[in-house]
Parts: sequence; structure tokens; C-alpha cells
Amino acid sequence: MKGIYYVLLLYFFLMLPPVANLMESVMIIHMHMQMTLFVIIGFLLAPALQKRFPRFFEEWNPNGIPGILLFVIVIFYWTLPRSMDEALNLWYIELFKFISLPFLAGVPLWDSWKKITASLKNGLISLFTLLFILMGWLYIWSPNQLCNNYLMIDQITLGWGFLLTAVCMIIYLAYSYITDFAKTV
Amino acid sequence: MVNKKLLAYLLVAVFGIVLFYFGTDGFTAYTSEAARVNQLKEEKPLFPEVTLEDHAERVYPFSEFEGKYVFITFFYTMCGTVCPELEKNMKQVYEMLPEDVVEEDIQFLSISFDPERDTPEVLDTYREWLESDGETWRMARIPDQQELDELLDRFGVIVIPDEYGNFAHNSAFYLVDPEGRLVEVMDYQETREAAVTVMDRMEGGGEK
Repeated sequence: MKGIYYVLLLYFFLMLPPVANLMESVMIIHMHMQMTLFVIIGFLLAPALQKRFPRFFEEWNPNGIPGILLFVIVIFYWTLPRSMDEALNLWYIELFKFISLPFLAGVPLWDSWKKITASLKNGLISLFTLLFILMGWLYIWSPNQLCNNYLMIDQITLGWGFLLTAVCMIIYLAYSYITDFAKTV
Repeated sequence: MVNKKLLAYLLVAVFGIVLFYFGTDGFTAYTSEAARVNQLKEEKPLFPEVTLEDHAERVYPFSEFEGKYVFITFFYTMCGTVCPELEKNMKQVYEMLPEDVVEEDIQFLSISFDPERDTPEVLDTYREWLESDGETWRMARIPDQQELDELLDRFGVIVIPDEYGNFAHNSAFYLVDPEGRLVEVMDYQETREAAVTVMDRMEGGGEK
């Protein structure tokens, strides 16, 4: 269980103001790298938490659905253009980002993923594919600047990042469909 | 067991609603630009005392326009994207208002936030391009950077310089009342709506 200290170290390192400011200075790194890293920190902390509080997860998240819902809500919140702006302008929103992404998105997803059915998993990936296509479309082709703190070109870059991620998820869905199909034949 | 599961659903749902409610000011503002406009309309900030220098090299304080409504946009002449559209739309609003109103009751003012490059001569060229008369619609810069920053800050105009000498900035129509208070922030793409809002304001003499 020594690994947990490295995870915590990474967690605190990412929260250091100079590190956080640097990552937030580029929009696409802010959203697709910093935020993703915080969710991954949640994944890495989850096994230790499950071991420590096994009953909590069994009682509150028996079938994985509440955890998935919580994950979806938190991620949807952080895709609002406004949330990103406010994380830069207001310290308490920034703090909420540091706490919510690992503990209200990463940990519940880790705990839920093994409990939910394969079709729900694919449904979830499809939902995020749709969301990312929508966000990509919004950031690339919206006539107005959505975020006040970033340049237009940063927003367009982010839009393409969203679309690329959506394409990856579509490839994954197609791949899993084909391999499943091959197994049953 | 069952109860806790139900409670978990409930808690997550309540959390979601509360989060989105506060995150979007009660489902009204999904971008910080919308939130900014809502907040400005509520606060009605006072136009700070600044010194303007216009396209004809006239220098005067903003209080010159006291007693009149002032229709304002923020722009810079080197801008190739939004500003020409913003100023062209401002011209449309100008043309939609009745002539006597434009001459007596309202002043049109385009303020540059790039005082270094936008000298009176440059502003005058821009004025010519827009075919403004230079009286009822003036182009001006605020030579004192500190005064300019104070104004931009108070009116929530965010200007970010990029590495190519351009600026990223948010755009809107601003209406200041005869006492110098910001009373309307309008969508610069809806010119007809803006003209109607301005007329309503002036006829109502205050609240809509």
C-alpha cells in the first residue's frame, strides 16, 4: 500500500498554485489533462478507500448506479463553459474542482464500473461520445466566445480535442461490438 | 439496505440539482459572459470619471455627456474580426433611431481600448469608413491607461492581448443613462432589439 503515498504526492503537487496556474494557462491542458488527471487520482485512491470503508460502498452504491449518476453529474458540471471560467476567477470554485473531480467523479466511477452491466457501460460511453461531439461542435463553430479567460484559438483547439476524444470512443464502441459479435458467432 | 440505496439516489439527485442551480444562477447563465451581463444589470455601475480624446483631437471628461443617454461600444481599429461587425451593427442601431432623438437625447460613442495605436488620426479614418458625422457619433480613446483599466474593470470588459498584437475581448452594446449609470448591456448581434430597448428606456425615463 506504499503506492498510495505517491498518489497523494501527485495530488498535492497538481494542486500547488504554480503547477495549477501553468496547466490552466492553456485551455485544452486545463480541461483534457488537468481535470482528467484529477479523476485518475480518484481511480488510484479508490482501492484504498474501498479497503478502508468496505461497508460504505456496499451500502450506498450496491448496484453501481448512484455512483455512476454522481460521476455523470460532476463531469457534466465541469463541461459547462462557465465552470471553467469560474475555476480561474474564484478560489472556492477552484477548490471544489480539486475535491469534486477525484472524490465525486473518480472514486465513484471506479467503485461502480465493476458493478454495472456491459450494456450500461456502453450506454455511458455513448452518452459521453454524444456530449463530446456536442461540446466540440459548440467550441469550434460557436460565433461567440464562450470563455472569457481564453483566446478564441484556445477554444477551437479545445473543440477539436473534444471531437478527437469522441472519435476514439466511437472506435472503442465499434471495436467492442465487433469482438463481442465474433465471440457469439 | 434498500433504504440506503434509495437515499443514495435521492442524495445524488439533490446534489446535482443544487450544483447546477448555483453553478448557473438558477439555470439562467451557462457561460460567464451571461453571468457578467446579469450582474451588471443588477449593479448598474457608475461610469468613472475619465478623460476622453476623440477623433477630432478634442479632449473632454465623460461628464461632457451628462444629461444625455450614451450608447457605447468598446473596440480597437486593428481588430479584424468582431469589431468591424460590432461597429457596423452600432451603425444599424444609429440609423434605426429617429433623427431628433439622435440629435438631442442620445450620444453614440465608440471607445478604443488600444490608446497607443488608436491615435485621433487613426480614429478619424475609422470614423470616415463608418460614415459617422463625428458629432452625434464619436470615436474616442482614453489616453490614461489607469483610467481605461478602471472603466473596463467596472463595465466588465475583458481584454486579453495575444502574441500577435491583437486582443481577445467580449463585445456588447452598453447604454449609460443621463446620470452616468450603466443601465443596459445588449446583445450586439440583435440590432433591432437593441434599438427597441433604447427607445423604451428613453420613453420610460428609467425602468422598462
